[in-house]
Amino acid sequence: MIAVQDLHKTFKGAWEPSLSGLSFSFPEGSIAGLLGPNGAGKTTTISVICGLVKADGGLVKVFNLPQDAAHRETIKRMIGIVPQQIALFPQLTARENLVYFGNLYGLKGKPLRDKIERYLERFGLEKNGNKEIHKFSGGMKRRTNIIAALLHDPKLLILDEPTAGVDVQSRSMILDFLRDYNSQGVSILYTSHLLEEAQSLCSVVAVIDEGKLVLQGQPGALIQQHPDCRNLEDVFLHYTGHAVRD
Amino acid sequence: MLRLLATIKKEWLLLKRDRTGLALLFFMPLVLITVMALVEDAPFRDFQELKFDVLTVDNDQGRLARYVKEGLERTGQFNIVDSLDGKPVTLEQAQRLVNDGDYKICILIPKGATAAIVSNANKVVNEISSRVGMPATLPVKQRDDTVNVVIYFDPAVKKAFKSGIHQALDNFLTQVEAGMLMERVQRQLRSKDSTAAADSLPIQLKAVGLEEKASGPTKEFKGIYSSVQHNVPAWTIFAMFFIVIPIAGNMIRERGDGSLERMKLIPGSYLAVLAGKMLFFVAVCVLQFYLMTLVGIYLMPLLDLPRLVLGPSQISAFVIAVAIGLAATSYGILIGTVFKTPNQALNFGAISIVILSAIGGIWVPLEVMPPHMQFVGHLSPLNWGLEAINNIYLRNAGIAHIWDNALKLLLLCAAMLLVAARVEKKRMG
Repeated sequence: MIAVQDLHKTFKGAWEPSLSGLSFSFPEGSIAGLLGPNGAGKTTTISVICGLVKADGGLVKVFNLPQDAAHRETIKRMIGIVPQQIALFPQLTARENLVYFGNLYGLKGKPLRDKIERYLERFGLEKNGNKEIHKFSGGMKRRTNIIAALLHDPKLLILDEPTAGVDVQSRSMILDFLRDYNSQGVSILYTSHLLEEAQSLCSVVAVIDEGKLVLQGQPGALIQQHPDCRNLEDVFLHYTGHAVRD
Repeated sequence: MLRLLATIKKEWLLLKRDRTGLALLFFMPLVLITVMALVEDAPFRDFQELKFDVLTVDNDQGRLARYVKEGLERTGQFNIVDSLDGKPVTLEQAQRLVNDGDYKICILIPKGATAAIVSNANKVVNEISSRVGMPATLPVKQRDDTVNVVIYFDPAVKKAFKSGIHQALDNFLTQVEAGMLMERVQRQLRSKDSTAAADSLPIQLKAVGLEEKASGPTKEFKGIYSSVQHNVPAWTIFAMFFIVIPIAGNMIRERGDGSLERMKLIPGSYLAVLAGKMLFFVAVCVLQFYLMTLVGIYLMPLLDLPRLVLGPSQISAFVIAVAIGLAATSYGILIGTVFKTPNQALNFGAISIVILSAIGGIWVPLEVMPPHMQFVGHLSPLNWGLEAINNIYLRNAGIAHIWDNALKLLLLCAAMLLVAARVEKKRMG
């Protein structure tokens, strides 16, 4: 579903490159985890994949289509993105936010309303749909943030830290949904700092650090390859070290 | 179209729930306009409508004093005060009152002033008569003492005011002298020929008069240039430009919370979303314009202020309101794109509008500024808007007289959007 090859990106005024020759690929239909410490280049990689940020060099392919001006709109239609921030309008209700984003996708009327109700129910928000977002708890905001990316039935769902700052119940609901959604044939690319969560959710992971690929593979296989590591977190620390990143 | 309409609806819902924003956009301008019109009412009236009390000390009791008093009262700008507490004003009393600032002006008609004018007229007529072989019979004073009408001013009055009074009095004196001279000429003619009174034409004092007319059929102004007439349009434009604060804040928040990113990742042009946002805020500006106009028409008279007088071309007023709205909205988009935090945008936006309004003739009309400031003022978009509205309201202008200012506002709007697009593109790169 995604192939990234020799990706380079240095932001203007930055001391160091965000991406320096990053390459990886994830198969279609997988739940792929893009993991790395702070500043590893995860968000920049996602931005380049979506076409929000232009890479200085390298190649990105989404479902075999190159991410360039000619294919940008087609790729946009196939991607649903859940940003790290709560990308919703706090003064609008959940329903109003979802109707707005649905309208921007060209959806309207009963089909849109039905879809919104279905997802609100799926995420346990049907009773709070008319509440303004700023009155929501962190978990409710995260769940609504995810729904906004699902309305146009994307083939690839990209989630940037979708469970950051949510309680156990909300996290469990989100992860259950992602597994269920993936089982319907939707590919998922997901970033997280929670390696236990990634280990249980992802079929494949890529660990990046300082803008480069450190390792890639199935979580179980990666753990087996390192007899001194009990879990994915140990493998991650083995490759990225214990030094604190800022 | 769906994206555009959805964005308009979204902005409406956001504004509807933002009470502070609503107050900033509608209530604050209303208060500002009302306060400014009230505060500036007195200075405007000073030079336009207010009547000044003029103390007159009449030591002459003759025709000159009567003529001066009647003449000053006829101008409609002066009340003649020739007695206080039922007694004629004395010179000492008048000097004290003027010096204390109780009265701005005192006119002393000295004893013998009318007699001096009569004597001078008689002297001229006698001279003419003797040269044409007629007897010089009119009485003439033997001593030729100089008699002056004296004016006392409050030391605080302005030079222009003094000059105006000087000119008016000089004019009255000339008229009285000329009138008396003509009377004596007629009387002398009658004494020479007893039929002259019956069949001669009256001698006209003024062959050429002075008349004020409108400069064109569409340029006649029915109102007066009052505090309301200046402040309502001026501060309405100021308030319309203050829309940069909510727009810039809105854009910076959208960028910060990732919703801008989300909108840009949705297939289709982001321009439709931006156009929806612009249309909504332009509509808010136009609404502000008409709300403030209603304040000028209906609220101001309730506060004992003049009613706002509109020109006949309401289409022109609408066009210029839209042009101002577009310029203000695009300025908000530019500020929202360039600045990174709402605080930066708020401070820069507010201060820049205050500066542009000060130099653009919003606070005080551009005409009273020094020439170099007038030049700078003409560069302010707020001045372009104000000039166009003044053309419509004060000079009854139509589209033909406002298109240049409307075009300037639209070009500025386009330029600011282009700069904003470049900045955003650079940021994304």
